[in-house]
Amino acid sequence: MNWKNILYLLRVERKSGRLIRGIKATRYRENSFLAYWPYWTAAIIGILGGIIANYGVSIIYKNGAATTGIPPLNVAALSFFAVLPTLVLVFSLIFTLLQQIQLAGLKASSQVMYWLPVTWQEHTLASILANLLGWPVALVVGLTSGLIVFSVFNGLILQGLLTVVILFAAAFMASSITETLRILQVRFTGAVYKSSGRGAIWVRFIGSILFFVIFYLFYFYVTSGFTTFITNLTSVQNAYWYVPFVWLALLLSYTVNGLFLQGIFYLALSIAFIAALYYLAVYLNRRFGLYEPPAIRVQKSGVYSPRAGVLGRFGFSDVEAALIGKDLKSFTRRRELIGVFIPAIIFIIVPLLNSFGVTSGGTAPTGQTTTLFLWIIFVGPPAFMAMLLGEVSIGEEGQSMLGIYASPISAKALVKSKYFLIAFFAAIILLISGTVGVIFYHPTILDAIVAFVATFFLIITVSAISLTIGLKGPDFSVTRRARMIRQEWSLIGLGACSLGGAAVFAPLVPYLLFRLLNIGVSYNIVIATSISAVISTVITIIFYRINIGLADDLLKKAQI
Amino acid sequence: MYSQYAVELKDVTKRYNEIVAVSNLNLSIGTGEIFGLLGPNGSGKSTTLKMLMGLVQPDTGSVNVLGLNVQKEPVEVKCLVGYVPESPLIYEFLTGIEYLDFIADIYSVPADEKKQRITEYLKALQLEGREGDMINSYSDGMKKKISLISAFIHKPKVLLLDEPLNALDPRSARIVKDFLHSLKMQGVTTIMSTHVLEIAEAICDQIGIMYQGTILALGNMDELRKKASLPNSDLEDIFLKLTGTEDLRAVVEELTR
Repeated sequence: MNWKNILYLLRVERKSGRLIRGIKATRYRENSFLAYWPYWTAAIIGILGGIIANYGVSIIYKNGAATTGIPPLNVAALSFFAVLPTLVLVFSLIFTLLQQIQLAGLKASSQVMYWLPVTWQEHTLASILANLLGWPVALVVGLTSGLIVFSVFNGLILQGLLTVVILFAAAFMASSITETLRILQVRFTGAVYKSSGRGAIWVRFIGSILFFVIFYLFYFYVTSGFTTFITNLTSVQNAYWYVPFVWLALLLSYTVNGLFLQGIFYLALSIAFIAALYYLAVYLNRRFGLYEPPAIRVQKSGVYSPRAGVLGRFGFSDVEAALIGKDLKSFTRRRELIGVFIPAIIFIIVPLLNSFGVTSGGTAPTGQTTTLFLWIIFVGPPAFMAMLLGEVSIGEEGQSMLGIYASPISAKALVKSKYFLIAFFAAIILLISGTVGVIFYHPTILDAIVAFVATFFLIITVSAISLTIGLKGPDFSVTRRARMIRQEWSLIGLGACSLGGAAVFAPLVPYLLFRLLNIGVSYNIVIATSISAVISTVITIIFYRINIGLADDLLKKAQI
Repeated sequence: MYSQYAVELKDVTKRYNEIVAVSNLNLSIGTGEIFGLLGPNGSGKSTTLKMLMGLVQPDTGSVNVLGLNVQKEPVEVKCLVGYVPESPLIYEFLTGIEYLDFIADIYSVPADEKKQRITEYLKALQLEGREGDMINSYSDGMKKKISLISAFIHKPKVLLLDEPLNALDPRSARIVKDFLHSLKMQGVTTIMSTHVLEIAEAICDQIGIMYQGTILALGNMDELRKKASLPNSDLEDIFLKLTGTEDLRAVVEELTR
């Protein structure tokens, strides 16, 4: 193992965030102090946190904690220390996986590694450590700085230092798991080894969606029930002693309580488990790390056969149909675009889990809460789909936008094709989410029709607004990942789409008040829905025209 | 194990699903040769270079570089080889100097030599003054130059160059060609794939013409002329004849119809 190589590789990885931050590319000079700001900031926050915690604890114990049933300081502190490894493990796993998801569009820019004299062991170790750069390390640095300060003030220096070491080991363990999952996911969904034809595309598409959905459900589960999660952790750790992920916590717990034999036992188990994870990652990297693009053959004959297509019959020109066809393929074949589908799926699954009591201790809600979930399932997925898709629909072209600039595509054709695609995808999601809502919540026919019609008008409005945002703030940078929309415009888009949605739904407020809160307000649902439709149409027409103007500007001034 | 050849491929086959990229390839290249690998798009040139670099594993056969088996000792082979890929897929978030510094560190080039070599190469390829810019602001030609410098920096014994002169300005292309000649004098073996037949004709000692994953013809210009039965012809005619694409008039007529 050449440790210098690992250091060099890490140095490179640390710099990889530069392009994401969009910093100036020419005459670039890095300020070495500012480059490490997340870690310094985390350390300062941690130290302040440690001082404040010490101050708070000293007040509690001065005021006679013993009489109020609170355990002695060292007992309470050490049981808190013992929870930290599992906590750090879980959050490092979440952060490192989140970072991997962010890098989903990463292309071959890191191939350099493969033609350099670096062993798979070095490569894997550097990759595991690199996964931790950023938020995961900042979290551990913050926690450990606070912990050291607190330990020094309270005479728990040795226990504190041991905890610090174990926390870093927990972060490493989490990152090793992420590395393993990353390689498997890349292998499974990216290459679809020994598979070809259209099936490979769908396997990749569904595989990526499954990976993201499972991760986000795990994320929501941990973060939504965070307090319960922490409270239960100590007892869970002891009960599930055979699960390797709690071994580090048990090692700490036994050692600080003077049970050294058990401590040594869990130390040996932890080392063995971390080593096993590392070697598994090395094996998988060696086996699958070198990416060999699959030969996916979509057209059997290989002979080009022009087809008029269904879109032509619906009044789309050849140019518009070609753009729509290209984008349809983009959204099923490009891994980084699959993220657009995730919020819609999460919006369907999370309310379902909640309504069946999966995340709320087994009690299923009833009555108005069920109506609320019905509306969330009806409105949320298609609305988010329309918003996200519209915002990225221009920027997703990336550097290939040059092809659009150079082609005889009019502003009208560009807007029409993009708008159709956004509204089309959102409408499909509306059909799916509506079906799920009707099947699981059994609404009245009137409720279902109102929800369906209102959401339909909502998505045609949001599609037009979000496309405006997409045209105003596209981000065509593709390295290190495709960003597609500038951050400030993404935020503006959220506000604009919310306002547009509120305007469309405003006439339905009395109906919703009655159905959700049982507040008796007089209303006529037919008139309310008609007004909603008129508002939606007006907003859509206005934004559609704005979009044509913006597209005209965009096509005149190439932004790449 | 000593070998008189710098590079040896024995019975090498590589498939991508049903597509055979390289088929039962046997090729030996002597030390200090400049070898040109020619062939139409998709003929297996890049795959062959990638297999020599250990980036693609052959399905069957063995690949040896300087007597080392690439599959068994990939790191040792990489230490001795400099590689330039067809597209310069390098870290775009680094500045030119940071990238070269990183590459030199990985190859353990001593600090003083590193500085000297980087300065010399940057000057020779006219990148001086732009080394502090991030690579994502470079043109394709500048990226190629950085890629070439990174292949030369550790003084490799074998150079694997995939379209090395693509996108280079004439001055830099000339410098690289002359430099490859001077490296040959020092015993460095170069294997390059190219579509620019004049370059292959001018600088390669041996030329291999690949087609559908196999070597159709191998030898110096005279040998190739003999094989194609085209005395006094240039490489373009030989290439077109051997790859069975010499009668292009019908194709052009079809296009202009």
